[in-house]
Amino acid sequence: MSNPADMKFLIVDDFSTMRRIVRGLLKESGYNNAEEAEDGAVALNMLKNGKFDFVVSDINMPNMNGFELLKAIKADDALKHLPVLMVTAEARKEDIVLAAQTGAAGYIVKPFTKATLEEKVQKIMQKLAATA
Amino acid sequence: MKVDLPENMVMPAASPEIFQQLGTLTRQLHDTMNMLGVLPGLKSTVDDLPDARSRLNYIATKTADAAEKVLNLVDTAKADQEHIADETRKLAALITADPVKAVASGAVFNFVQDVETVTKRVDGHLTDIMMAQDFHDLTGQVVAKVVRLANDLEAQLVKLLVQAAPPEQAQKVEAALTSHHQTSEPALEGPVVDAQGRTDVVANQSEVDDLLASLGF
Repeated sequence: MSNPADMKFLIVDDFSTMRRIVRGLLKESGYNNAEEAEDGAVALNMLKNGKFDFVVSDINMPNMNGFELLKAIKADDALKHLPVLMVTAEARKEDIVLAAQTGAAGYIVKPFTKATLEEKVQKIMQKLAATA
Repeated sequence: MKVDLPENMVMPAASPEIFQQLGTLTRQLHDTMNMLGVLPGLKSTVDDLPDARSRLNYIATKTADAAEKVLNLVDTAKADQEHIADETRKLAALITADPVKAVASGAVFNFVQDVETVTKRVDGHLTDIMMAQDFHDLTGQVVAKVVRLANDLEAQLVKLLVQAAPPEQAQKVEAALTSHHQTSEPALEGPVVDAQGRTDVVANQSEVDDLLASLGF
């Protein structure tokens, strides 16, 4: 990706308020291109039918939760390269470890700050650039 | 089961009344045992009530904090806004009186700088107001947990009621309620309402980062 501002984000959260917050913060960080999904199942369908560069996902969601979405992404050859940043209220250590082992690129616990989101996205971007 | 009776004990002749009484007692014992079977479930649900109380307290605190934060930020933003409005009026008066002096004295330049600083600050307040809305997500998850607990409690009480009711009524009630109570406890926990004394959860983002770093991520 030549220009990070052109990156397309998929924000997955069952609460529309949180989707708007994440979208607003990404916009403030210069990432204007984002779409939203209300659960993992909808997100997976969007990922399979569109081109995205970055996924920001909640964990506790109906239909398909964030762990299931993460596993599905990592099991799909066409999607497994996508970085997935988990943004969730799940604060159990076992959940954090499970997310890391499943292939999450980062983990943020809610409530979070603008600086935390910016920092994590930036860090993941740098890793992507280094491995590209 | 074989029972050894004393040699001098004389057994009364078995009568239908005795068998009927025995049958009634057995039935009562059976019903009581069934009811006792419900009690552990009910007790466990009732034990969760203090947790529900702390969850409701969490919701009250979160919403109150968010409301106060937003109102404080609005007050600050309004003060900034008012400051810019005042400065605009002053500059307009200066320009109207003597445009050249207004520029030469640096009043125009100072005003531009002031506007830039204040608008940046107001933008920060707006971001903070947006962030304060995260209580909706966090409290929403907690509300869902409390609702689930209320449903469990209701289901346990209905079960108790059904078992204490006459059989013909019980069957009707049970059939009507079967489809309503299919709750399942999700494996995910949602927001931690009280992290004190818990070692299985992280308290903040830096603990998440430390944990991930210890795993080599």
